[in-house]
Amino acid sequence: MTEVLKALGPFFFYAVVGVFAQNAVFTRALGVSRIVKLADDPEVDSLTFGVLLCSVQLISAPMAYFVNLWLSEQWYSTYVRPLVLVMCSAVAFFIVLLLVVLLFRSSGAKDIVAVLPMATFNTCILGTLLIGTTRHFDLLQTMGFALGSGVGYVLAVLVVREGARKLDNEDVPATFRGLPVTLLYIGILALAIYGFTGHLISF
Amino acid sequence: MNIDPMKPEVNHELARKVKRDRILLNNPVVMQGLGLAPLVVAAINVKNATMLAVAVALLLTPTRVIAAFLSRFSYFRFRGLTYAVTSAAVYVGVIWVMEHLFTSADITLLGLYLPLLVADPIILKRYERPQRERIHTAFRKGIITTAGYVLAMYVTAVLREFLGTGAVLGHTLLKTPLFPMAQLPSGGFIVLALMIAVWRGGVNIVKRQMGLGAKQQA
Repeated sequence: MTEVLKALGPFFFYAVVGVFAQNAVFTRALGVSRIVKLADDPEVDSLTFGVLLCSVQLISAPMAYFVNLWLSEQWYSTYVRPLVLVMCSAVAFFIVLLLVVLLFRSSGAKDIVAVLPMATFNTCILGTLLIGTTRHFDLLQTMGFALGSGVGYVLAVLVVREGARKLDNEDVPATFRGLPVTLLYIGILALAIYGFTGHLISF
Repeated sequence: MNIDPMKPEVNHELARKVKRDRILLNNPVVMQGLGLAPLVVAAINVKNATMLAVAVALLLTPTRVIAAFLSRFSYFRFRGLTYAVTSAAVYVGVIWVMEHLFTSADITLLGLYLPLLVADPIILKRYERPQRERIHTAFRKGIITTAGYVLAMYVTAVLREFLGTGAVLGHTLLKTPLFPMAQLPSGGFIVLALMIAVWRGGVNIVKRQMGLGAKQQA
C-alpha cells in the first residue's frame, strides 16, 4: 500500500501544482484569449468545455510522452515538435469525438461536438504538452500535470466567468467594460498566485 | 457608433469600413482579444516583440491561405484540424527562417511562446466561422490581421519595457522604473488592460467623428 502511495505521490503533487502554483492561465496566460471569449459567450457551457478539455488533455499527454521519447533524440525535434503534439491532440480529438457520439447518440451530441475543436486546438493543450516534453517529465508527472493543468484551466474559466458577470455593471467606466476589466481582474488574480508561489515561472 | 435611423445605408457603410480596418479601429487584440498569451508573457521588450512579430508574419498569412485552400478538399466539419495541422506544418519553415535571422539564445528568450503560436487564436480563429474563405480574401485578411497584431504587440512591448525597466530598445531613459511589475505576467495583464481601454476610448472618439462626417456628407 505504501509503495502504491509512494508511486502515486508525484502524480498528485504535479496535479496540485498544475491546478494552483503553475495554473496555466494565471502564471503562463495559456488559453487566455479563449477564456475572455468564453466569459462573454453564454452559448458555451463551461462544464462541457471543461470536461472535453480535460479529456483531450489526459488522452494526448501519454501519447506526447511516448512520442517524445523517440523525438527528443532527433536533431529536427525543435522543428517538428509542435506538429507532432498537434497530431497527438488530433488523435485525442477523434477518440473523444467517438466517445461523445457513442454516449450521447440520441441527444446533445451535436452541441458537445461543436465545442470540441475549441477544447482541443488551443494554447492550454499545446502549452501543457510542450511543458511536459521540454521539461522531461516522467509518465506519472506528465499525467498528473496534464490533469492538474486541465482542472486548473476549468477553474480559471469559472472564476473569470463569474468575475466578468459581476464586473458587468454601470460602476465600471465605459471604456473598461468587457475585455479591459476582465484582463485587469485576471492580472490581479495572477498577482495573487505570484505572491503564493513567490517566484517567477520560467517560460 | 452613432446610429442614424434615417440613413441606414450610411451606417451600414460606416460599419463595414470599421470592420475592415484590422489595424486601428478593429484591431484583433484590442477588439477581439486574440493572441493575448505572447503579449502578456513574452512581449516584455522590443527585442522579444520583434522576434514574435517576424514569427507571426511568417506564420499567419501562409497558414490562412493554405488552410483556406485545403478546406475546399477536406471534410469541412474538421476545419479546426485542417487549420491546426497546417499551422504546425508551416511552423517548420518559420523556425528554420527564425534560426537564420536570430541567434539560438535570442529565440530561447521566447520559451514556449514561439511554438505556442501554432495554436494561438490569432492564427486559428478563422476556422470557427462556418463559411469557407476564398484564397485571395484569406491572403488580404492575413496581411492586415498581421499588421494589426504586430502594431498592438509593439505598443505593448514598448510600454512594458519602459514601465518595467525604464528603458526603450535597451536605452535607459529612467534610472528608477515606474512600474517594475510590468515585466511579470500579472503586470502584463494589467498593462495590456490599460492599453486596450485607452485604445478603445480613442476608437470610440474616431467612430463618433466618422459618424458625424458621414452624416454631413450624406
